[in-house]
Amino acid sequence: MDDKKAAILSEIPRLRRYARSLLRERDSADDLVQDCLERALVRLDNWQTGESPRRWLFTIMHHLFIDQMRKVNRRGEAAMLPLDTGEAQAAPADQVETIASREIMDALQAISPDRRAALVMVAIEGFSYAEAANILGVPAGTLMSRIARGREELRGLLDDTSRRRSIRIVEK
Amino acid sequence: MTRSDFSERDIHMALDGELPGEERMAYDAWLEANPEMKAKSARYIADRAAMRAALAGVMDEPVPARLRQVVLGEAPAKASAWRSRWWLSAAAAVMLAVGGLGGYVAGIDSVARGGDGDDQLAEQAIAAHVTYAAEKRHAVEVPASDRDHLQTWLSNRVGLKLVAPDLAAEGFDLVGGRLLPAGDQGKAAMLLYEDAKGERISLYVTAESSETSKGTYTAETGGPEAVYWLDKGYACAVVGSLPPERLSDVAKSAYGQLLAGISS
Repeated sequence: MDDKKAAILSEIPRLRRYARSLLRERDSADDLVQDCLERALVRLDNWQTGESPRRWLFTIMHHLFIDQMRKVNRRGEAAMLPLDTGEAQAAPADQVETIASREIMDALQAISPDRRAALVMVAIEGFSYAEAANILGVPAGTLMSRIARGREELRGLLDDTSRRRSIRIVEK
Repeated sequence: MTRSDFSERDIHMALDGELPGEERMAYDAWLEANPEMKAKSARYIADRAAMRAALAGVMDEPVPARLRQVVLGEAPAKASAWRSRWWLSAAAAVMLAVGGLGGYVAGIDSVARGGDGDDQLAEQAIAAHVTYAAEKRHAVEVPASDRDHLQTWLSNRVGLKLVAPDLAAEGFDLVGGRLLPAGDQGKAAMLLYEDAKGERISLYVTAESSETSKGTYTAETGGPEAVYWLDKGYACAVVGSLPPERLSDVAKSAYGQLLAGISS
């Protein structure tokens, strides 16, 4: 096996984690990773020697994600995106989640795709602002405001969830 | 000189490791002096920890075989090679795996079926292949030597941004292309490829599709196989008489490149 393929293989766990944070549902997330890998292999020659495989692959995957989000929106099928985190979805059967995990994953899905990607890229995947801005193809200032708004929005959603939960407890 | 004018923006920078080291002490002092900001910072740190915890397990999951196979170039079992794409499944698309059933299904009253665009596409693509791939001298209208013109011309006629895929890695070189009728009113582009042994395959692309589907199709009477996919707005088929696995590899590569071209 050549070095390039070995390098790509070793990035799969991270790609899966990023995809899971973007799409939540396991099979959909792995489909996105598979699309990313297929495209990467077709374009193996475009991968500059010396360029970090992680950055290259994340860029490919991010483009696939954003393109498709736009297409889905254009087709008027945005309804598939969870609009209300309260009743958004049944938890994936293949995953044992704590309430805290479920709540934060629900909230993450409810913020805009652009903010979600920016926040996860930096807070989970550990990219620097410069790297993340490069991968997402936006100026550093835009990236920073997406991160700040994303965190703000996430906090608001989590607060709403816990408020609803306490109301339910009071009603009992 | 030390900085003392911090703001909420610095909370994010500190959290993300973007605050210059020499400012850290002054920042911490500022945080101590501003309980509201300190609470905000603590909350963001807690939310981040929860996010990390929720996703931590993913890194420890075994990598699904289908993902390894993509990288290693081992074709997965045919059924899974044409999995539902994540965004199509998200769009609640109808998937049809016609395969060997194609001939049988084609015999059923078309009213009984959800749509026959995929069969029609596969049949037209196969008919075009059978007609033109056998031609030695007149197989194409525009030769590969005029690739740029070929791509522009077909793109304009068909109404899609068409990039002739590079299939050299699969052993096929572009011979050229031609314009064909498609459906009732439409037009299709046919791109013909040839390998070193003279084996030919063709790509048939049209912008006439209003359906979403994919699968493989062979006429009941045998002959070349078509691997096709229809997305809303366009449809493609790769036709040839190759071993199924090789045809599937070629189709995947062609598909990836066509899609990249169309959406670029």
